[in-house]
Amino acid sequence: MAGITDLGVGIGWRSEIDLTVERLPGVDFVEVVAENLHIGHLPESVTLLLERGIPVLPHAVSLSLGGADPVDLSRVEHLGRIAEAVGAPMVSDHVCFVRAGGLDSGHLMPVPRTKDALDVLVANVKLAQENLPVPLALENVAALLEWPDGELSEGQFLAELVERTDCWLLVDVANLYANARNIGTDPHRFLDEIPLERLAYVHVAGGVDHGDVYHDTHAHAVLPEVLGVLDELCSRVKPPGVLLERDDNYPSDAEIASELAAIRAVVEKHRA
Amino acid sequence: MVTPVTSLGTRLSPEEIGYLTAGPGRAAETALARLIDADLVRVSRQGLVSAVHLGDHGALTELERRTLSYARTGARFDTVVQSTAYSTEMKRLHQHLLDQKLMQQPRRRHEGWWFSLAVAIVLVVLGFTAPAFFLGVPIALLFFVWQRGRKAVTEAGAKALRHVAATDRVHAVALYGFCGKVNGHAVADLFELSQGIVKMLPLKQNRKRRSSSDGGGGCGSSCSSCGSGCGGSSCSSSSSGCSSGGSSCGGGGCGGGGGGGD
Repeated sequence: MAGITDLGVGIGWRSEIDLTVERLPGVDFVEVVAENLHIGHLPESVTLLLERGIPVLPHAVSLSLGGADPVDLSRVEHLGRIAEAVGAPMVSDHVCFVRAGGLDSGHLMPVPRTKDALDVLVANVKLAQENLPVPLALENVAALLEWPDGELSEGQFLAELVERTDCWLLVDVANLYANARNIGTDPHRFLDEIPLERLAYVHVAGGVDHGDVYHDTHAHAVLPEVLGVLDELCSRVKPPGVLLERDDNYPSDAEIASELAAIRAVVEKHRA
Repeated sequence: MVTPVTSLGTRLSPEEIGYLTAGPGRAAETALARLIDADLVRVSRQGLVSAVHLGDHGALTELERRTLSYARTGARFDTVVQSTAYSTEMKRLHQHLLDQKLMQQPRRRHEGWWFSLAVAIVLVVLGFTAPAFFLGVPIALLFFVWQRGRKAVTEAGAKALRHVAATDRVHAVALYGFCGKVNGHAVADLFELSQGIVKMLPLKQNRKRRSSSDGGGGCGSSCSSCGSGCGGSSCSSSSSGCSSGGSSCGGGGCGGGGGGGD
């Protein structure tokens, strides 16, 4: 694939807000959580969006590509079948692990940024790619801790991952902001180090402060600071797509529309 | 939204209208309708009702607060309606209507209610031959009146309802229910709710005001939530209109508690 199609501005489709997503003006594409869909009976709302020509991109949360365990190919196969069912141009998951030693963390855990961990990640990503019918994009996660003895910055880690696997990048600017707040990473440096030409699209989400910790909840409003990181990204590259993620405590349709408009304004500012 | 004013000067809230029209289920539907109308809850295509804000933000009545609490974490459309219908807040609304003399404790129609009337007629006929029989006529008539039962909605309640119209979509729900029709149009359409969602409410014929035009169609949703408790043993007098089942319910199904429409 030479490049990613211009996706525009989108929103994460969730069953609780399916009618909202359908009614919202200016939704250019949507993302679905692959694990929540079942082959053979897609939600009526998703089918309706597809009939309208809205691209639907499956987003996975359970491949655990950064884990030491071998990739569960049944999960990869499910993701691929969902991609085929919705005619998606690509699929995505995270640079993380979610299970180890037979236990599920229930959370996207950061990968140690060592050469050894990168080798494991690369092997898993290649295996997943071989079993997927469409390209794979990988997303940076929000972390509340950094593993010791890291050898690479997060940007360097992702750049090498892209170089060795030819995967695409899904950059979550809210996660960049969260990491800057919680573990002191630098979003500017991250953007300097990653291959922006391999940017698939961008995630934007809200969060909330708990004392000194910023929680990337996806259940609160998008902070201006997060839009600031998006602004910085857009000053460097024209992102093929930008998507609002909201996973809980869904606000009114008007508030969601307002957040989408704010995202679009940042994107349009740089396109102009 | 203008609150209807009856000829008696009684201001009826939409929830009160819903209760008087078809019982607690209809009142619960009305509370939910107002919350949807105010964008305080959303309903998904699968009929999942979820609150838009944390807390009681925007709720105007006790019943709405209760409904919001059920929708806080997301709940099925029918579950929200039925849970609200059986809530303590609903009992308080019923008590309020009793206090206002718009409702009364209904009395079930006795199976042999007609027998006392027949006896009275026979006594009248016999009275022409032996006047002493006339003495038994008032007694037979008293039995007749007692056994005939009485509706849950008082004359004042029924009169108040006669002046209420579906001036907006919330009142449309109060009068006809989500499953009803107003001016030939499905009430559910006013809320962009599919029939699949509103028909989650158990199907019960509601012969009370379910349509403003032909009186047909509709699934009698509010009756439904009432209905499930209406026929059961759990339906005590405290459950008000729902408990009637006799004359006020008009037989087949709960009909909601009273029905001013008759």
